[in-house]
Amino acid sequence: MSAIELIRLALSRLRRGRVRAALTMLGVIIGVASVVGLVSVGRGTTARITDQLSSLGTNLLTISPSGGGGSTSTLTLDDATAIAAVPGVAAVAPEIQTQAVVATSTSNTTTTSVVGTSADYLTVRAYEVWQGTFLSRIAVDQGLRQVVLGATVATDLGLGAEAVGSQVTIGGLPFEVIGILQPKGGAGFANPDDEVLVPVGVVRKYFVGGTGIRTVGVSVADGYDMQAARDSIAELLRVRHGIGTTDTDDFQIFDQTQLLAAASTISGTLTLLLGGIASIALIVGGIGIMNIMLVSVRERTREIGIRKALGARGRDILSQFLIEALTLSLIGGLIGVLLGLVVSAVIGRIAGWGFIFDPNTIAVATMFSLAVGIVFGVWPARQAARLDPVIALRYE
Amino acid sequence: MSLLRLEHIGRTYDMGHVQVQALHDVSMSVERGEMVAILGPSGSGKTTMMSIIGCLDRPTQGRYELDGTDVGSLNDGALARIRSRTIGFVFQSYNLLPGTSAVDNVATPLLYQGVPRRERVKRATAELERLGLGHRLRHEPTELSGGEQQRVALARALVTQPALVLADEPTGNLAVHQGLEVLKLFQDLHDAGHTIILITHNPEVAAVAQRSVHLLDGAVVDGELAA
Repeated sequence: MSAIELIRLALSRLRRGRVRAALTMLGVIIGVASVVGLVSVGRGTTARITDQLSSLGTNLLTISPSGGGGSTSTLTLDDATAIAAVPGVAAVAPEIQTQAVVATSTSNTTTTSVVGTSADYLTVRAYEVWQGTFLSRIAVDQGLRQVVLGATVATDLGLGAEAVGSQVTIGGLPFEVIGILQPKGGAGFANPDDEVLVPVGVVRKYFVGGTGIRTVGVSVADGYDMQAARDSIAELLRVRHGIGTTDTDDFQIFDQTQLLAAASTISGTLTLLLGGIASIALIVGGIGIMNIMLVSVRERTREIGIRKALGARGRDILSQFLIEALTLSLIGGLIGVLLGLVVSAVIGRIAGWGFIFDPNTIAVATMFSLAVGIVFGVWPARQAARLDPVIALRYE
Repeated sequence: MSLLRLEHIGRTYDMGHVQVQALHDVSMSVERGEMVAILGPSGSGKTTMMSIIGCLDRPTQGRYELDGTDVGSLNDGALARIRSRTIGFVFQSYNLLPGTSAVDNVATPLLYQGVPRRERVKRATAELERLGLGHRLRHEPTELSGGEQQRVALARALVTQPALVLADEPTGNLAVHQGLEVLKLFQDLHDAGHTIILITHNPEVAAVAQRSVHLLDGAVVDGELAA
């Protein structure tokens, strides 16, 4: 018998038992829909995390002293200046950080991070200016008391676009507001918009003593190898700090792409886990199919006997029942894919990462549902094929 | 040459600790174009006879030759092929496929012969029309009377032009006048040259046949004497 004949037979059979077929398929539908839905949630999460990490700058190297920071830091402003001369380094932003109260003339106050940095900070940390300008090189070199506000700080203080040019006090000292940053959105661990930026010399002079700095952010020029830049910087710092070839570094260089890779590994695992959990539902659906097919073989024992008397071979019966199971699982699978796409579109809309369409997931889910049909259909079909026609014909 | 020949056929069922001998040393033969009744009370081994002649089962002793082939040596697939090509079954309880239209029921044996759908429907329709059921093609078994169902079953047995029509109590479930109608159909088939074996417990039904083989307790009593 040809495949078309078998499919026609299976479809006419399923049409006769619509309710039962629908209920049997429901297991597969739910299973496939959860696989498609949950995997797309996993992918959405991954996409969002990597997006946010990328927004921190993918060509970013963060250098920090190992073993404590602050005033005991071994990393100095001179180190930062020297790093700027390394080939491939596009921008260098040293950072010194402290907490301080920021107040407006109308006595709105907020406590936030005060970051002393250079004009390159904007490039290195991938911020954009919303209003006004960022700290200029001149302002940084001369240590002018100018401040750029993070978006959250501006909101907390009730300051809008008109605030550019006005005065605020930081830790009691007056500063001129020269710009407000675009909000960046939270990356999970800290709010990057809750900070104000002032020239590094100003923080050094008024807030944090000593010569150490907390971190140096380095932006590597496009087209340069991150690893090469990283090695050059490490070599430079080892020379500057007088570290021998066998000694341990007193600094560490942290690569943004490492974080990205780690994050996508984690969320990839998460996606797999979600898919794995969902496929349990699919297996349960498959068992539902097997159950119904076994019942069906029993109910149709006489029909099987008749078909054998009319000339059906064992494998005609086997393929008839197998195709029935496959039809159930495949139709269920396709409906499940559609449902899963709807679910993931809705979740994507609510969560804000949009609709993620992945043909791979759909192909895998469809293949999986076919496999479920085969695995759970073979046994009942074999039972049917093996029936002795004499006994089957006498079966009431 | 005979169409079928049974030589010392025996069929023993192994029920674990008991062995049941359903047939014992049965010999008979049927010529082409003959109409033979196998007559016997219930429990005499009629059903086992039908199963063996119909190639649904194999004898445990003896030799069964159908249309020149030794059936005992065949595997399941080859037996199915013989059922498909050589034999047309008519059962007591009609045994039509439930939920399937008359025409699809009649077309089913052709499906297993690999005949294309269009031709199956054409031949099945022609067969049903020949038996006066042209107006019932799309009806399902539950929508047909007993007599009509048995005629559908007959059409299904004949659609493959089998060498042998094997009928098991063909009038068993029918009212008297319908039974007579069906027997008349068998007679017509016989007149048209079909080889027919009627299996029955009813001597009146057996009387339609040219000769009867009497079965009792799994053995032929006076089989060839009636010829």
